Amino acid sequence: MSKETPILAVENLVMHYTTRKGDVSAIDGVTFSLEKGHSLGLVGESGCGKTSIAFSLMRLLPDNAKIKQGSIFIDGEDIITMSYDQLLKFRWRKIAMVFQAAMNALNPVYTVGDQIVEALDLHDMIKNKAEAEERVAELFELVGLDPALMHRYPHEFSGGMRQRAVIAMALSCEPDIIIADEPTTALDVIVQDRILREMKKIQQKLGMSMIYISHDIAVIAEVSDHIGVMYAGRMAELASGVDIFERPLHPYTYALMRAFPSIKGEKHDLTTLPGEPPDLLYPPTGCRFHPRCPFATDICKEKQPPFENVGGEHYVACWHPMEVHNDHH
Amino acid sequence: MTTTNSPLLKVSGLKKYFPVGGGFLRKPHNFIHAVDDLNFEIPSGGSMGLVGESGCGKTTTGKLLVRLYEPTDGHILIQDEQGNLEDIAYRKGASMKAFRRRVQMIFQDPYESLNPRRTIYDTVAEPLAVQGIGNISEREERVATLLERVGLTPATSFMFRFPHELSGGQRQRIAIARALVVNPSFIVADEPTSMLDVSIRTGVMNLMMELAAEMNVSYLYITHDLAVARYMCDTIGVMYLGKIVEQAPTEELLHQPQHPYTRALISAVPIPDPRIKRQVIDIKGGISAPIDPPPHCRFYARCPLADETCRDRPHPPLQDKGNGHLVACYKV
Ligand SMILES: Nc1ncnc2c1ncn2[C@@H]1O[C@H](COP(=O)(O)OP(=O)(O)OP(=O)(O)O)[C@@H](O)[C@H]1O
Ligand SMILES: Nc1ncnc2c1ncn2[C@@H]1O[C@H](COP(=O)(O)OP(=O)(O)O)[C@@H](O)[C@H]1O
Ligand code: SF4
Ligand SMILES: [Mg+2]
Ligand SMILES: [Mg+2]
Repeated sequence: MSKETPILAVENLVMHYTTRKGDVSAIDGVTFSLEKGHSLGLVGESGCGKTSIAFSLMRLLPDNAKIKQGSIFIDGEDIITMSYDQLLKFRWRKIAMVFQAAMNALNPVYTVGDQIVEALDLHDMIKNKAEAEERVAELFELVGLDPALMHRYPHEFSGGMRQRAVIAMALSCEPDIIIADEPTTALDVIVQDRILREMKKIQQKLGMSMIYISHDIAVIAEVSDHIGVMYAGRMAELASGVDIFERPLHPYTYALMRAFPSIKGEKHDLTTLPGEPPDLLYPPTGCRFHPRCPFATDICKEKQPPFENVGGEHYVACWHPMEVHNDHH
Repeated sequence: MTTTNSPLLKVSGLKKYFPVGGGFLRKPHNFIHAVDDLNFEIPSGGSMGLVGESGCGKTTTGKLLVRLYEPTDGHILIQDEQGNLEDIAYRKGASMKAFRRRVQMIFQDPYESLNPRRTIYDTVAEPLAVQGIGNISEREERVATLLERVGLTPATSFMFRFPHELSGGQRQRIAIARALVVNPSFIVADEPTSMLDVSIRTGVMNLMMELAAEMNVSYLYITHDLAVARYMCDTIGVMYLGKIVEQAPTEELLHQPQHPYTRALISAVPIPDPRIKRQVIDIKGGISAPIDPPPHCRFYARCPLADETCRDRPHPPLQDKGNGHLVACYKV
């Protein structure tokens, strides 16, 4: 089985934030990869480290963040050991990001079009003004905005329109990979649906690779062919979307899926988990899920379960994966 | 418990208009029709979900029902202790206070809705103090019982802490305890779990349902999430720009939606299962604010079914299509 080298490969990434109270273990040994043209969804509750991973991939971490270990290969090159000059060539061109709540981050005093032109100019993507306008018009059309709107200001845009503009900005340097961090979380469902469909279309058209980040497993299920379930700074499980739903192996994945109500199918009771996600200043020993896990045993408290391949593209980090329980009962 | 045929709550012709554009010494010339002629009932022990996109008037409706707002027009009838319906739409003073004992509200943001300078005990006991119910030791006992019931055990370890020491989920449990402490018959819950993470949210949702059943409390559950409304409510009303455009028993509404807006809304909900493919019904345009809306159907400008009859007639009334399925549309 020969395979192309993945466009992105993250290996055993460890990242801490230094704070007055101590180190926050925000990413602790995360490994995953992304094939060209594919989409990966990272799902997990707030504080589990999703945005931290995104910022690591962009090498846009705040000053108190420190990558302790691991590598991030983008198109075969490790961006962690890369020089700053080289990094500048990678960021936005190879990998770009739509930030969480980005729609509120547009500068109110410039027109939306001018802000995109600035991004283009910064990366030498355009030669003159005429070319700039043409390119902005193209980008607007790509994300489903009327090009006539490029001379308007952000406050004249609805939330959905602003989010589209931000996506256009991320697309402006024609990156190979786009990370979308909670791209639709603040939007109403009809607008969300339109934008997600638009993004999927653009991805296919341009052959891009996508990383979607969301706390909402329904959104992730819609747009990603692979899903990584994160818990407390670690990847609990990683598999194709269908495998995650048909054969969830990690007790957290299983619980997460039984905790989301759906409007389709039979109405079923929603399961609850005891307790709350841990504070990553004081992460639990062993498996970080053990204080809330119904299957935890002594080994779970003592030793971190390895992130192991269980066949195909399915990975899980658990001492007692679910299928075993299912077989027994 | 006595069962009566009359509903616990009956709303008719309820309106709330907010002035816009006015200012100092200047009369407003325009009004946002935030809530515009609502008519619905909730039976004793029943639960209704109010769903719709941002700005459609859900919170305004909730605040009218608990009388944090005075209506512009209309009636809010609610059962008194004897089971008679009384209109509280324009109540003031002492008779308002008696009503406050029967109707409570839970808010969306657990970080803003609790006073940061009050202990948990003071927060939960406040409605008892306002109503003059019980003496100090009785109040303490009641608060302790409720704290334990909402899962904050042991109560004594929570009572004298402050909200900032608690997580979002714990705060919403406090808000639930506070709402229930006076034994109300009706609660408005405005997106009480939308800021909580899933693994915590489910517990709060289940708790609310259990307690409502146990204490025979009816509720209006406001949410923008249809799946949550399905889980929590017997009936669902769909709001669009100040109007309820469709209302039906929950499963009926989700499986046989009739109003073109409801159909579009349901079709846009992502499904947490990649094996299920949705049928997409796209509608043009976006939601706006209902400032002095034209008299025809509120959905006219975006509706895929609209024609001249919709343009030339007033906003369609809710019509019963059988089985308590109400739809406001000339074309279905
Ligand atoms: N106090 C107020 N003064 C003026 N306008 C208001 C006021 N409260 C609400 N509105 C307007 O009334 C309409 C309905 O608002 P409301 O808060 O009830 O919506 P909602 O359905 O609860 O929305 P969301 O889902 O965003 O909470 C909106 O257009 C809003 O801007
Ligand atoms: N700049 C920072 N300094 C210190 N801790 C941080 C910082 N940013 C995030 N964290 C912490 O790191 C963990 C992961 O956060 P984040 O990556 O934002 O998670 P998510 O995006 O999944 O909600 C959390 O415990 C969060 O509180
Ligand atoms: S390793 Fe143990 S505690 Fe962790 S998820 Fe598996 S069974 Fe639960
Ligand atoms: Mg985040
Ligand atoms: Mg609201």
